[in-house]
Amino acid sequence: MTQKFMIPLLLASLLLSACATGVQSPVVRFDRQVNYGDAKAVELVTNEFGSSDLQMIAEKMVGSLLETGIFQGRPTVTISTVKNKTSEYIDTTNVMNSIQTALVKSGKVRFTRAITEMQAGVDELQRQNQSGLYKSKTTAKVGQMTAAKYSMEGELTSIVKQNNSTKDVFYKFTLKLFDVEEGTIEWQDEKEIRKTSKR
Amino acid sequence: MKLRNFLLPLVLAAMAGTAMAQSGVPTGTPAAVAAKIQLRGDANDIVIPEIRIVRRNDVMVVQADMKNTTDSNRTVFYRFRWLDSSGSQVGDGESWKQMTVLGHQIQTVKSVALHSSAVDFRIEMNVETQ
Repeated sequence: MTQKFMIPLLLASLLLSACATGVQSPVVRFDRQVNYGDAKAVELVTNEFGSSDLQMIAEKMVGSLLETGIFQGRPTVTISTVKNKTSEYIDTTNVMNSIQTALVKSGKVRFTRAITEMQAGVDELQRQNQSGLYKSKTTAKVGQMTAAKYSMEGELTSIVKQNNSTKDVFYKFTLKLFDVEEGTIEWQDEKEIRKTSKR
Repeated sequence: MKLRNFLLPLVLAAMAGTAMAQSGVPTGTPAAVAAKIQLRGDANDIVIPEIRIVRRNDVMVVQADMKNTTDSNRTVFYRFRWLDSSGSQVGDGESWKQMTVLGHQIQTVKSVALHSSAVDFRIEMNVETQ
């Protein structure tokens, strides 16, 4: 009877001890095998600007904006320029898209078309109003767009230092929110990131 | 009879496993704080002595202190998980962050819920020794 009890207990203990071994950290490491990984994992493949940097910047900026309460009354905002002053090719639009997505999902702000998105909006208005294809009651009227109260401008800079053994990259992303009418900065924050790698 | 003999220790082992997972909080962390921590693996001498929670402009803001109680450095991987009143996750989830905590250093991590529906949170974390 005791023996019958002991064997499964031993098996269960072995199973538990197997489970208790070290856990894997959420990192992306270089591997020849292809896998679908965690899109939110810490990316440590190289020390160039990567997905983790983009995500950390967006989270910090959105959190800071929401915390300040500047978006009381659900104002309108447009995205202006995002300068990349680093030596790397970085699609800074991606950073702003992530910030915009999170802010839109928060429900605290409304975004108007950015300059780069305006032509598509104008084309659609012209198609509805000038093509003669649509019922006049259903067409969007020209001259009814809402202008942005605030304009968002960003800048990404980097300082790179290296010697024979180490490469250090310091990124700084600065985001400013301008009051369009008054031209004043109503909010500003920075995200600093340091990445160091052995060569 | 045979099945019962096998099942009982398995249930006991499962219970032990649950207890182990629940007790997998950093030693020295207050119980109220520990309830907010989802630790994977060993805390490796990282303690969370305090968490500060405030609701500012309709969003939750949380700060947590992470204290390294040893001489050697520790690498902490963490992220905040925001929950609504029903316990469901709010949003897609934050990205994981990596942070070095030097020997006997206290590092403060902060996060802001990106939606006003977030009323609770968990800090998912694991600690690597360097």
